[in-house]
Amino acid sequence: MGPLIPNGIIGGGWDFVIALLLGIAFGFILEASGFSSSRNIAGVFYGYNFVVLRVFFTAVIVAMTGLLFFDYFGWIDLNKIFILPTYLAPMIFGSVVMGFGFLLGGFCPGTSYTAIAIGKLDALVFTIGLFIGIFIFGEAFPLFKDFYYSGYLGNVTLTDVTGIPASWFAFAFTVIALASFWVTMIIEKRVRKNIKEYKF
Amino acid sequence: MNKNYIFLTILMLVLAFGTLFLNKEPEHGQIKPEKLLYNIIQPTRYVTTDQVAKMIIDKDPTLELVDVRDEKSFEEFSLTNAINIPLDSIISPNYEDYFGVPGTKVVFYSNDDILADQAWVITRRMDIEETYVMKGGLNCWIETIIQPKEPSEEDPYTAFEQYQFRKGAQMYFTGAKVEQSVKKKKVVVRRKKKQAAASGGC
Amino acid sequence: MMEENSLTNNRPYYINPYLGGVLLGLLVILTVYITGRGLGASGAVKSAVVTTADVIAPAHAEENAYYSKFISDDHSPMYTWLVFESLGIFFGGLLSGIIFGRVKKLRVERSPKITNKTRLIAALIGGILFGIGSQFGRGCSSGAALSGSATFALGGVIVMLLLFGTGYAVAWFFKKLWI
Repeated sequence: MGPLIPNGIIGGGWDFVIALLLGIAFGFILEASGFSSSRNIAGVFYGYNFVVLRVFFTAVIVAMTGLLFFDYFGWIDLNKIFILPTYLAPMIFGSVVMGFGFLLGGFCPGTSYTAIAIGKLDALVFTIGLFIGIFIFGEAFPLFKDFYYSGYLGNVTLTDVTGIPASWFAFAFTVIALASFWVTMIIEKRVRKNIKEYKF
Repeated sequence: MNKNYIFLTILMLVLAFGTLFLNKEPEHGQIKPEKLLYNIIQPTRYVTTDQVAKMIIDKDPTLELVDVRDEKSFEEFSLTNAINIPLDSIISPNYEDYFGVPGTKVVFYSNDDILADQAWVITRRMDIEETYVMKGGLNCWIETIIQPKEPSEEDPYTAFEQYQFRKGAQMYFTGAKVEQSVKKKKVVVRRKKKQAAASGGC
Repeated sequence: MMEENSLTNNRPYYINPYLGGVLLGLLVILTVYITGRGLGASGAVKSAVVTTADVIAPAHAEENAYYSKFISDDHSPMYTWLVFESLGIFFGGLLSGIIFGRVKKLRVERSPKITNKTRLIAALIGGILFGIGSQFGRGCSSGAALSGSATFALGGVIVMLLLFGTGYAVAWFFKKLWI
Protein backbone atom coordinates (compact mmCIF):
# COMPACT_ATOMS: atom_id res chain seq x y z
CA MET A 1 0.00 0.00 0.00
CA GLY A 2 1.63 3.17 -1.14
CA PRO A 3 3.13 5.59 -0.57
CA LEU A 4 5.72 3.15 0.68
CA ILE A 5 8.10 5.30 2.67
CA PRO A 6 5.52 7.34 4.56
CA ASN A 7 3.72 4.11 5.39
CA GLY A 8 6.89 2.66 6.76
CA ILE A 9 7.00 -0.19 4.29
CA ILE A 10 10.43 0.87 3.15
CA GLY A 11 12.73 2.02 5.88
CA GLY A 12 14.10 5.56 5.95
CA GLY A 13 17.65 4.44 5.33
CA TRP A 14 16.87 3.61 1.73
CA ASP A 15 15.66 7.13 1.09
CA PHE A 16 18.70 8.48 -0.64
CA VAL A 17 19.50 5.36 -2.62
CA ILE A 18 16.01 5.49 -4.03
CA ALA A 19 16.35 9.21 -4.68
CA LEU A 20 19.50 8.56 -6.63
CA LEU A 21 17.94 5.79 -8.69
CA LEU A 22 14.81 7.74 -9.47
CA GLY A 23 16.97 10.70 -10.39
CA ILE A 24 19.02 8.59 -12.76
CA ALA A 25 15.87 7.41 -14.47
CA PHE A 26 14.60 10.99 -14.65
CA GLY A 27 17.85 12.29 -16.09
CA PHE A 28 18.03 9.48 -18.60
CA ILE A 29 14.53 10.08 -19.88
CA LEU A 30 15.10 13.81 -20.10
CA GLU A 31 18.34 13.53 -22.01
CA ALA A 32 17.12 10.77 -24.26
CA SER A 33 14.10 12.84 -25.21
CA GLY A 34 16.23 15.78 -26.18
CA PHE A 35 15.99 18.02 -23.17
CA SER A 36 19.73 18.41 -22.95
CA SER A 37 19.58 20.95 -25.72
CA SER A 38 18.42 24.47 -24.96
CA ARG A 39 17.37 25.03 -28.54
CA ASN A 40 15.14 21.99 -28.40
CA ILE A 41 13.51 23.25 -25.25
CA ALA A 42 12.99 26.78 -26.55
CA GLY A 43 11.48 25.32 -29.66
CA VAL A 44 8.10 24.91 -28.05
CA PHE A 45 7.74 28.66 -27.93
CA TYR A 46 8.54 29.18 -31.57
CA GLY A 47 6.93 26.18 -33.09
CA TYR A 48 9.98 24.45 -34.51
CA ASN A 49 10.26 21.77 -31.86
CA PHE A 50 7.42 20.70 -29.66
CA VAL A 51 9.29 18.12 -27.65
CA VAL A 52 8.63 19.99 -24.40
CA LEU A 53 4.91 20.00 -24.98
CA ARG A 54 4.83 16.38 -26.00
CA VAL A 55 6.88 15.00 -23.19
CA PHE A 56 5.46 17.26 -20.52
CA PHE A 57 1.79 16.89 -21.36
CA THR A 58 2.08 13.18 -21.94
CA ALA A 59 3.80 12.77 -18.60
CA VAL A 60 1.12 14.75 -16.79
CA ILE A 61 -1.82 12.90 -18.30
CA VAL A 62 -0.19 9.51 -17.82
CA ALA A 63 0.63 10.34 -14.23
CA MET A 64 -2.82 11.76 -13.49
CA THR A 65 -4.62 8.81 -15.01
CA GLY A 66 -2.22 6.35 -13.49
CA LEU A 67 -2.50 7.79 -10.00
CA LEU A 68 -6.26 7.67 -10.18
CA PHE A 69 -6.18 4.01 -11.18
CA PHE A 70 -3.63 3.23 -8.49
CA ASP A 71 -5.87 4.91 -5.97
CA TYR A 72 -8.85 2.92 -7.16
CA PHE A 73 -7.03 -0.37 -6.90
CA GLY A 74 -5.94 0.53 -3.43
CA TRP A 75 -2.26 0.58 -4.32
CA ILE A 76 -1.78 4.12 -3.21
CA ASP A 77 -3.54 6.35 -0.72
CA LEU A 78 -3.88 9.69 -2.43
CA ASN A 79 -4.70 11.32 0.88
CA LYS A 80 -1.24 10.58 2.16
CA ILE A 81 0.79 12.10 -0.63
CA PHE A 82 2.41 15.48 -0.58
CA ILE A 83 0.41 18.17 -2.28
CA LEU A 84 2.29 21.29 -3.29
CA PRO A 85 1.07 24.15 -1.10
CA THR A 86 -0.54 27.10 -2.81
CA TYR A 87 0.70 30.59 -2.08
CA LEU A 88 -1.28 32.51 -4.59
CA ALA A 89 0.46 35.86 -5.18
CA PRO A 90 4.09 34.74 -4.76
CA MET A 91 3.54 31.71 -6.95
CA ILE A 92 2.04 33.80 -9.70
CA PHE A 93 4.95 36.19 -9.45
CA GLY A 94 7.47 33.38 -9.31
CA SER A 95 5.98 31.63 -12.31
CA VAL A 96 6.15 34.78 -14.41
CA VAL A 97 9.76 35.37 -13.43
CA MET A 98 10.53 31.74 -14.19
CA GLY A 99 8.88 32.15 -17.56
CA PHE A 100 11.36 34.91 -18.41
CA GLY A 101 14.21 32.85 -17.10
CA PHE A 102 13.05 29.84 -19.08
CA LEU A 103 12.96 31.81 -22.30
CA LEU A 104 16.29 33.53 -21.75
CA GLY A 105 18.12 30.55 -20.42
CA GLY A 106 16.47 27.82 -22.40
CA PHE A 107 16.69 25.47 -19.47
CA CYS A 108 15.07 24.59 -16.22
CA PRO A 109 17.08 23.12 -13.36
CA GLY A 110 16.48 19.45 -14.09
CA THR A 111 17.26 19.70 -17.78
CA SER A 112 20.30 21.85 -17.13
CA TYR A 113 21.83 19.05 -15.07
CA THR A 114 21.50 16.63 -17.96
CA ALA A 115 22.91 19.19 -20.37
CA ILE A 116 25.92 19.78 -18.15
CA ALA A 117 26.49 16.04 -18.26
CA ILE A 118 26.89 16.09 -22.01
CA GLY A 119 29.11 19.13 -22.02
CA LYS A 120 26.88 22.10 -22.64
CA LEU A 121 28.56 25.21 -21.35
CA ASP A 122 25.41 27.30 -21.52
CA ALA A 123 23.77 24.83 -19.16
CA LEU A 124 26.62 25.18 -16.73
CA VAL A 125 26.31 28.94 -16.84
CA PHE A 126 22.57 28.61 -16.37
CA THR A 127 23.05 26.52 -13.27
CA ILE A 128 25.54 29.01 -11.91
CA GLY A 129 22.87 31.60 -12.55
CA LEU A 130 20.43 29.51 -10.56
CA PHE A 131 22.84 29.50 -7.69
CA ILE A 132 23.29 33.25 -7.86
CA GLY A 133 19.58 33.83 -8.19
CA ILE A 134 18.71 31.76 -5.17
CA PHE A 135 21.49 33.45 -3.26
CA ILE A 136 20.11 36.85 -4.15
CA PHE A 137 16.71 35.66 -3.06
CA GLY A 138 18.05 34.43 0.24
CA GLU A 139 19.92 37.60 0.99
CA ALA A 140 17.07 39.86 0.06
CA PHE A 141 14.54 37.67 1.79
CA PRO A 142 13.72 40.02 4.68
CA LEU A 143 12.55 42.58 2.14
CA PHE A 144 9.74 40.50 0.80
CA LYS A 145 9.22 37.98 3.53
CA ASP A 146 5.59 38.91 3.98
CA PHE A 147 4.92 38.72 0.30
CA TYR A 148 6.58 35.32 0.16
CA TYR A 149 4.14 33.92 2.68
CA SER A 150 1.06 35.69 1.41
CA GLY A 151 -1.90 34.13 -0.27
CA TYR A 152 -1.59 30.84 1.55
CA LEU A 153 -4.43 28.53 0.65
CA GLY A 154 -3.00 25.39 2.12
CA ASN A 155 -1.99 22.18 0.41
CA VAL A 156 -5.04 22.34 -1.77
CA THR A 157 -5.84 20.21 -4.75
CA LEU A 158 -7.97 21.25 -7.67
CA THR A 159 -10.77 19.20 -6.19
CA ASP A 160 -10.48 20.94 -2.84
CA VAL A 161 -10.89 24.30 -4.48
CA THR A 162 -13.56 23.57 -7.05
CA GLY A 163 -15.34 20.52 -5.73
CA ILE A 164 -14.90 18.91 -9.14
CA PRO A 165 -13.64 15.33 -8.88
CA ALA A 166 -10.03 14.77 -9.89
CA SER A 167 -10.96 12.40 -12.68
CA TRP A 168 -12.78 15.18 -14.53
CA PHE A 169 -9.58 17.20 -14.54
CA ALA A 170 -7.62 14.20 -15.70
CA PHE A 171 -10.03 13.60 -18.54
CA ALA A 172 -10.26 17.26 -19.55
CA PHE A 173 -6.52 17.60 -19.46
CA THR A 174 -6.11 14.46 -21.53
CA VAL A 175 -8.45 15.75 -24.18
CA ILE A 176 -6.69 19.09 -24.35
CA ALA A 177 -3.28 17.46 -24.41
CA LEU A 178 -4.18 14.98 -27.14
CA ALA A 179 -5.74 17.71 -29.22
CA SER A 180 -2.64 19.82 -28.83
CA PHE A 181 -0.48 16.93 -30.01
CA TRP A 182 -2.30 16.71 -33.30
CA VAL A 183 -2.43 20.44 -33.82
CA THR A 184 1.23 21.00 -33.05
CA MET A 185 2.20 18.21 -35.37
CA ILE A 186 0.81 20.29 -38.19
CA ILE A 187 2.33 23.52 -36.92
CA GLU A 188 5.73 21.96 -36.53
CA LYS A 189 5.80 20.66 -40.06
CA ARG A 190 4.99 24.13 -41.35
CA VAL A 191 7.50 25.97 -39.22
CA ARG A 192 10.27 23.53 -39.98
CA LYS A 193 9.85 23.99 -43.67
CA ASN A 194 11.16 27.49 -43.16
CA ILE A 195 14.14 26.63 -41.03
CA LYS A 196 16.72 24.72 -42.96
CA GLU A 197 19.69 25.01 -40.70
CA TYR A 198 18.04 23.61 -37.62
CA LYS A 199 19.46 20.24 -36.87
CA PHE A 200 19.42 19.36 -33.25
CA MET B 1 3.43 6.02 -37.88
CA ASN B 2 0.16 7.86 -38.01
CA LYS B 3 -1.92 4.76 -37.46
CA ASN B 4 0.00 4.01 -34.28
CA TYR B 5 -0.60 7.52 -33.05
CA ILE B 6 -4.30 7.28 -33.72
CA PHE B 7 -4.43 4.06 -31.78
CA LEU B 8 -2.48 5.55 -28.88
CA THR B 9 -4.67 8.63 -28.83
CA ILE B 10 -7.77 6.52 -28.58
CA LEU B 11 -6.19 4.34 -25.93
CA MET B 12 -5.28 7.33 -23.81
CA LEU B 13 -8.73 8.81 -24.22
CA VAL B 14 -10.34 5.59 -23.14
CA LEU B 15 -8.13 5.29 -20.08
CA ALA B 16 -8.71 8.87 -19.03
CA PHE B 17 -12.42 8.51 -19.69
CA GLY B 18 -12.37 5.41 -17.54
CA THR B 19 -11.14 7.36 -14.55
CA LEU B 20 -14.46 9.16 -14.49
CA PHE B 21 -16.12 5.95 -13.45
CA LEU B 22 -13.74 4.86 -10.76
CA ASN B 23 -15.90 5.37 -7.74
CA LYS B 24 -14.64 3.96 -4.56
CA GLU B 25 -16.68 3.14 -1.53
CA PRO B 26 -14.80 4.96 1.18
CA GLU B 27 -13.54 1.82 2.80
CA HIS B 28 -12.87 1.88 6.46
CA GLY B 29 -9.33 0.63 6.56
CA GLN B 30 -9.52 -2.59 8.49
CA ILE B 31 -6.74 -4.42 10.18
CA LYS B 32 -6.17 -8.07 9.47
CA PRO B 33 -8.31 -10.59 11.40
CA GLU B 34 -5.25 -12.30 12.87
CA LYS B 35 -3.99 -9.01 14.22
CA LEU B 36 -7.39 -8.22 15.69
CA LEU B 37 -7.63 -11.60 17.35
CA TYR B 38 -4.17 -11.21 18.78
CA ASN B 39 -5.10 -7.81 20.20
CA ILE B 40 -8.34 -9.15 21.65
CA ILE B 41 -6.65 -11.78 23.76
CA GLN B 42 -4.24 -9.26 25.28
CA PRO B 43 -5.42 -7.94 28.63
CA THR B 44 -3.45 -4.74 28.10
CA ARG B 45 -6.48 -2.85 26.95
CA TYR B 46 -7.98 -2.91 30.38
CA VAL B 47 -7.52 -0.06 32.76
CA THR B 48 -8.72 -0.18 36.32
CA THR B 49 -11.19 2.18 37.88
CA ASP B 50 -8.37 3.35 40.13
CA GLN B 51 -6.30 4.33 37.14
CA VAL B 52 -9.18 6.22 35.62
CA ALA B 53 -9.94 7.95 38.89
CA LYS B 54 -6.34 9.01 39.24
CA MET B 55 -6.25 10.42 35.74
CA ILE B 56 -9.41 12.41 36.36
CA ILE B 57 -8.15 13.75 39.66
CA ASP B 58 -4.80 14.64 38.14
CA LYS B 59 -6.65 16.37 35.32
CA ASP B 60 -4.62 14.33 32.87
CA PRO B 61 -5.14 16.04 29.51
CA THR B 62 -4.55 12.87 27.53
CA LEU B 63 -7.60 11.13 28.95
CA GLU B 64 -10.68 10.93 26.80
CA LEU B 65 -13.56 9.06 28.40
CA VAL B 66 -16.18 7.68 26.07
CA ASP B 67 -19.48 6.54 27.49
CA VAL B 68 -20.91 3.98 25.09
CA ARG B 69 -24.31 3.64 26.70
CA ASP B 70 -27.44 5.27 25.35
CA GLU B 71 -28.09 8.95 25.80
CA LYS B 72 -30.56 8.57 28.62
CA SER B 73 -28.18 6.61 30.82
CA PHE B 74 -25.49 9.13 30.00
CA GLU B 75 -27.68 12.00 31.14
CA GLU B 76 -28.49 10.26 34.39
CA PHE B 77 -24.93 9.67 35.36
CA SER B 78 -21.61 9.96 33.66
CA LEU B 79 -17.99 10.28 34.58
CA THR B 80 -16.29 13.66 34.64
CA ASN B 81 -15.66 15.09 31.17
CA ALA B 82 -16.90 11.96 29.45
CA ILE B 83 -18.43 12.18 26.02
CA ASN B 84 -21.32 10.06 24.91
CA ILE B 85 -21.02 7.93 21.81
CA PRO B 86 -23.69 5.22 21.92
CA LEU B 87 -22.39 1.86 20.79
CA ASP B 88 -24.54 1.70 17.70
CA SER B 89 -23.06 4.87 16.31
CA ILE B 90 -19.49 4.24 17.28
CA ILE B 91 -18.29 4.05 13.69
CA SER B 92 -20.48 6.79 12.37
CA PRO B 93 -18.50 9.44 10.50
CA ASN B 94 -19.80 12.04 12.93
CA TYR B 95 -17.61 10.68 15.65
CA GLU B 96 -14.55 9.90 13.55
CA ASP B 97 -12.73 12.93 14.85
CA TYR B 98 -12.78 11.73 18.41
CA PHE B 99 -10.53 8.83 17.65
CA GLY B 100 -6.94 8.64 16.62
CA VAL B 101 -5.99 12.02 18.02
CA PRO B 102 -2.28 11.71 18.69
CA GLY B 103 -1.50 11.68 22.37
CA THR B 104 -4.97 11.02 23.69
CA LYS B 105 -5.99 7.83 25.35
CA VAL B 106 -9.58 6.88 24.69
CA VAL B 107 -11.15 4.89 27.53
CA PHE B 108 -14.46 3.22 26.82
CA TYR B 109 -16.83 2.48 29.65
CA SER B 110 -20.35 1.20 30.11
CA ASN B 111 -22.34 -0.23 33.00
CA ASP B 112 -20.37 -3.43 33.13
CA ASP B 113 -17.61 -3.72 30.59
CA ILE B 114 -19.37 -5.71 27.92
CA LEU B 115 -20.55 -2.81 25.78
CA ALA B 116 -17.27 -1.01 26.26
CA ASP B 117 -15.41 -4.09 25.17
CA GLN B 118 -17.50 -4.30 22.05
CA ALA B 119 -16.79 -0.69 21.29
CA TRP B 120 -13.11 -1.43 21.71
CA VAL B 121 -13.19 -4.38 19.33
CA ILE B 122 -15.10 -2.44 16.71
CA THR B 123 -12.77 0.54 16.78
CA ARG B 124 -9.67 -1.64 17.03
CA ARG B 125 -10.77 -3.40 13.90
CA MET B 126 -10.68 -0.06 12.16
CA ASP B 127 -7.08 0.28 13.23
CA ILE B 128 -7.79 2.94 15.79
CA GLU B 129 -5.10 2.74 18.40
CA GLU B 130 -4.59 4.00 21.96
CA THR B 131 -8.00 2.76 23.06
CA TYR B 132 -8.78 1.16 26.39
CA VAL B 133 -11.63 -0.35 28.36
CA MET B 134 -12.38 0.44 31.98
CA LYS B 135 -12.56 -2.95 33.59
CA GLY B 136 -15.79 -3.62 35.39
CA GLY B 137 -17.42 -0.49 34.03
CA LEU B 138 -19.54 1.81 36.11
CA ASN B 139 -20.63 -1.01 38.36
CA CYS B 140 -17.06 -1.47 39.44
CA TRP B 141 -16.62 2.29 39.64
CA ILE B 142 -19.38 2.46 42.23
CA GLU B 143 -17.95 -0.44 44.22
CA THR B 144 -14.42 0.84 44.28
CA ILE B 145 -14.49 4.60 44.05
CA ILE B 146 -17.86 5.72 45.27
CA GLN B 147 -18.26 3.16 48.02
CA PRO B 148 -14.88 1.65 48.61
CA LYS B 149 -14.76 -1.29 50.93
CA GLU B 150 -12.46 -1.08 53.85
CA PRO B 151 -9.95 -3.89 53.71
CA SER B 152 -9.88 -6.39 56.51
CA GLU B 153 -6.84 -6.84 58.68
CA GLU B 154 -5.40 -9.81 56.89
CA ASP B 155 -5.26 -8.01 53.63
CA PRO B 156 -1.84 -7.04 52.32
CA TYR B 157 -0.44 -3.57 52.78
CA THR B 158 -1.19 -2.61 49.22
CA ALA B 159 -4.88 -3.06 49.87
CA PHE B 160 -4.71 -0.36 52.52
CA GLU B 161 -2.87 1.98 50.23
CA GLN B 162 -5.48 1.40 47.62
CA TYR B 163 -8.23 2.05 50.13
CA GLN B 164 -6.61 5.33 51.14
CA PHE B 165 -6.53 6.37 47.54
CA ARG B 166 -10.13 5.33 47.06
CA LYS B 167 -11.32 7.23 50.05
CA GLY B 168 -9.66 10.30 48.68
CA ALA B 169 -11.23 9.66 45.31
CA GLN B 170 -14.58 9.17 46.90
CA MET B 171 -14.25 12.55 48.51
CA TYR B 172 -13.28 14.09 45.23
CA PHE B 173 -16.13 12.62 43.27
CA THR B 174 -18.95 12.76 45.77
CA GLY B 175 -17.84 15.50 48.08
CA ALA B 176 -18.59 13.12 50.94
CA LYS B 177 -16.98 13.81 54.24
CA VAL B 178 -14.61 11.24 55.49
CA GLU B 179 -15.91 9.62 58.64
CA GLN B 180 -13.66 10.01 61.55
CA SER B 181 -12.31 6.66 62.42
CA VAL B 182 -12.87 6.08 66.12
CA LYS B 183 -11.01 2.86 66.17
CA LYS B 184 -7.47 3.14 67.21
CA LYS B 185 -5.41 3.03 64.13
CA LYS B 186 -3.47 -0.13 63.97
CA VAL B 187 0.18 0.44 63.32
CA VAL B 188 0.79 -0.61 59.82
CA VAL B 189 4.16 -2.13 59.36
CA ARG B 190 5.69 -1.90 55.96
CA ARG B 191 5.77 -5.41 54.75
CA LYS B 192 7.52 -6.74 51.76
CA LYS B 193 5.11 -6.66 48.96
CA LYS B 194 4.30 -10.25 48.23
CA GLN B 195 1.87 -9.68 45.49
CA ALA B 196 2.03 -7.75 42.29
CA ALA B 197 0.69 -4.22 42.39
CA ALA B 198 -2.97 -4.06 43.15
CA SER B 199 -5.06 -4.77 40.18
CA GLY B 200 -8.21 -3.42 41.71
CA GLY B 201 -10.51 -5.91 40.10
CA CYS B 202 -14.13 -6.43 40.94
CA MET C 1 11.25 11.37 -39.40
CA MET C 2 14.19 9.01 -39.45
CA GLU C 3 16.96 10.43 -37.34
CA GLU C 4 20.45 9.09 -37.74
CA ASN C 5 23.06 8.55 -35.12
CA SER C 6 24.88 11.74 -34.25
CA LEU C 7 28.22 10.16 -34.96
CA THR C 8 27.68 11.51 -38.40
CA ASN C 9 26.90 15.17 -38.66
CA ASN C 10 23.18 14.69 -38.85
CA ARG C 11 20.44 15.24 -36.35
CA PRO C 12 21.01 13.54 -33.04
CA TYR C 13 18.88 10.56 -32.24
CA TYR C 14 16.21 11.25 -29.70
CA ILE C 15 13.62 8.79 -28.54
CA ASN C 16 10.05 9.37 -29.50
CA PRO C 17 8.82 12.22 -27.28
CA TYR C 18 5.54 10.50 -26.56
CA LEU C 19 7.46 7.48 -25.39
CA GLY C 20 9.57 9.78 -23.26
CA GLY C 21 6.43 11.31 -21.86
CA VAL C 22 4.89 7.96 -21.02
CA LEU C 23 8.09 6.86 -19.32
CA LEU C 24 8.28 10.12 -17.41
CA GLY C 25 4.64 9.83 -16.35
CA LEU C 26 5.23 6.30 -15.14
CA LEU C 27 8.31 7.52 -13.30
CA VAL C 28 6.25 10.18 -11.55
CA ILE C 29 3.73 7.54 -10.52
CA LEU C 30 6.54 5.33 -9.26
CA THR C 31 8.10 8.19 -7.35
CA VAL C 32 4.83 9.12 -5.72
CA TYR C 33 4.17 5.46 -4.97
CA ILE C 34 7.47 5.03 -3.21
CA THR C 35 8.00 8.38 -1.57
CA GLY C 36 4.66 10.12 -1.43
CA ARG C 37 6.25 13.09 -3.18
CA GLY C 38 6.88 13.95 -6.78
CA LEU C 39 10.16 14.69 -8.53
CA GLY C 40 11.99 17.98 -8.22
CA ALA C 41 15.19 19.73 -9.15
CA SER C 42 15.57 23.32 -8.00
CA GLY C 43 15.75 22.27 -4.37
CA ALA C 44 19.23 20.88 -4.87
CA VAL C 45 20.64 24.25 -5.89
CA LYS C 46 18.87 25.82 -2.97
CA SER C 47 20.53 23.29 -0.68
CA ALA C 48 23.86 24.19 -2.26
CA VAL C 49 23.28 27.87 -1.57
CA VAL C 50 22.28 27.21 2.02
CA THR C 51 25.29 24.99 2.56
CA THR C 52 27.63 27.55 1.08
CA ALA C 53 26.19 30.28 3.25
CA ASP C 54 26.43 28.06 6.27
CA VAL C 55 30.05 27.20 5.57
CA ILE C 56 31.22 30.69 4.74
CA ALA C 57 29.22 32.69 7.26
CA PRO C 58 27.43 30.42 9.70
CA ALA C 59 26.20 33.17 11.97
CA HIS C 60 24.68 35.07 9.10
CA ALA C 61 23.11 31.94 7.75
CA GLU C 62 21.50 31.16 11.08
CA GLU C 63 20.08 34.63 11.28
CA ASN C 64 18.72 34.66 7.80
CA ALA C 65 15.10 33.77 7.99
CA TYR C 66 15.22 31.82 4.76
CA TYR C 67 18.44 29.83 5.08
CA SER C 68 17.89 28.98 8.70
CA LYS C 69 14.87 26.91 7.84
CA PHE C 70 17.07 24.45 6.06
CA ILE C 71 19.95 24.33 8.47
CA SER C 72 19.93 21.54 11.00
CA ASP C 73 22.44 20.60 13.62
CA ASP C 74 22.43 16.94 12.73
CA HIS C 75 23.47 17.03 9.16
CA SER C 76 24.58 19.18 6.32
CA PRO C 77 21.83 20.89 4.35
CA MET C 78 23.10 18.94 1.36
CA TYR C 79 21.85 15.76 2.94
CA THR C 80 18.41 15.91 1.42
CA TRP C 81 16.31 13.89 -0.95
CA LEU C 82 16.47 16.44 -3.77
CA VAL C 83 20.24 16.69 -3.74
CA PHE C 84 20.62 12.97 -4.26
CA GLU C 85 17.90 12.95 -6.86
CA SER C 86 19.58 15.79 -8.72
CA LEU C 87 22.87 13.94 -8.61
CA GLY C 88 20.98 11.09 -10.17
CA ILE C 89 19.60 13.38 -12.86
CA PHE C 90 23.13 14.35 -13.78
CA PHE C 91 24.28 10.75 -14.00
CA GLY C 92 21.16 9.67 -15.84
CA GLY C 93 21.79 12.40 -18.36
CA LEU C 94 25.40 11.34 -18.62
CA LEU C 95 24.40 7.73 -19.18
CA SER C 96 21.96 8.64 -21.88
CA GLY C 97 24.46 11.01 -23.44
CA ILE C 98 27.05 8.28 -23.57
CA ILE C 99 24.65 5.74 -25.03
CA PHE C 100 23.42 8.09 -27.71
CA GLY C 101 26.81 9.60 -28.37
CA ARG C 102 26.11 13.12 -27.28
CA VAL C 103 28.84 13.57 -24.73
CA LYS C 104 31.32 15.82 -26.44
CA LYS C 105 33.67 18.63 -25.62
CA LEU C 106 32.42 21.75 -23.90
CA ARG C 107 30.26 23.70 -26.26
CA VAL C 108 27.72 26.47 -26.33
CA GLU C 109 24.42 25.97 -28.03
CA ARG C 110 22.87 28.96 -29.65
CA SER C 111 21.15 30.30 -32.68
CA PRO C 112 23.59 31.27 -35.40
CA LYS C 113 22.36 34.86 -35.21
CA ILE C 114 24.09 35.59 -31.92
CA THR C 115 27.52 35.05 -30.46
CA ASN C 116 28.62 32.65 -27.76
CA LYS C 117 29.05 35.55 -25.43
CA THR C 118 25.49 36.72 -25.92
CA ARG C 119 24.18 33.27 -25.34
CA LEU C 120 26.14 32.81 -22.17
CA ILE C 121 25.05 36.16 -20.78
CA ALA C 122 21.47 35.27 -21.57
CA ALA C 123 21.93 31.91 -19.89
CA LEU C 124 23.32 33.57 -16.80
CA ILE C 125 20.53 36.10 -16.55
CA GLY C 126 18.00 33.40 -17.33
CA GLY C 127 19.42 31.28 -14.56
CA ILE C 128 19.33 34.12 -12.09
CA LEU C 129 15.73 34.92 -12.91
CA PHE C 130 14.74 31.29 -12.82
CA GLY C 131 16.48 30.85 -9.49
CA ILE C 132 14.62 33.76 -7.96
CA GLY C 133 11.32 32.70 -9.48
CA SER C 134 11.66 29.12 -8.35
CA GLN C 135 11.85 30.16 -4.73
CA PHE C 136 8.69 32.21 -4.94
CA GLY C 137 7.05 29.47 -6.93
CA ARG C 138 7.98 26.77 -4.44
CA GLY C 139 9.46 24.68 -7.19
CA CYS C 140 10.48 24.61 -10.82
CA SER C 141 8.99 23.00 -13.88
CA SER C 142 9.78 19.53 -12.58
CA GLY C 143 8.79 19.95 -8.99
CA ALA C 144 5.93 22.37 -9.15
CA ALA C 145 4.60 22.22 -12.67
CA LEU C 146 5.09 18.55 -13.48
CA SER C 147 4.75 16.80 -10.14
CA GLY C 148 2.34 19.35 -8.76
CA SER C 149 -0.03 19.08 -11.68
CA ALA C 150 0.23 15.30 -11.75
CA THR C 151 -0.95 15.20 -8.16
CA PHE C 152 -3.73 17.65 -8.91
CA ALA C 153 -2.26 20.35 -6.73
CA LEU C 154 -3.67 23.80 -7.42
CA GLY C 155 -0.25 25.39 -7.03
CA GLY C 156 1.20 23.02 -9.58
CA VAL C 157 -1.32 23.88 -12.22
CA ILE C 158 -0.92 27.61 -11.58
CA VAL C 159 2.84 27.39 -11.97
CA MET C 160 2.57 25.27 -15.09
CA LEU C 161 0.11 27.59 -16.82
CA LEU C 162 1.90 30.79 -15.92
CA LEU C 163 5.41 29.52 -16.52
CA PHE C 164 4.69 28.42 -20.05
CA GLY C 165 2.19 31.21 -20.60
CA THR C 166 4.78 33.83 -19.76
CA GLY C 167 7.26 32.06 -21.98
CA TYR C 168 4.91 32.38 -24.91
CA ALA C 169 4.17 35.99 -24.06
CA VAL C 170 7.82 37.05 -24.18
CA ALA C 171 9.05 34.65 -26.80
CA TRP C 172 8.84 37.13 -29.63
CA PHE C 173 11.26 39.50 -27.90
CA PHE C 174 14.01 36.93 -27.61
CA LYS C 175 13.55 35.22 -30.91
CA LYS C 176 17.09 35.97 -32.01
CA LEU C 177 18.47 33.87 -29.21
CA TRP C 178 17.02 30.75 -30.68
CA ILE C 179 16.19 31.01 -34.35
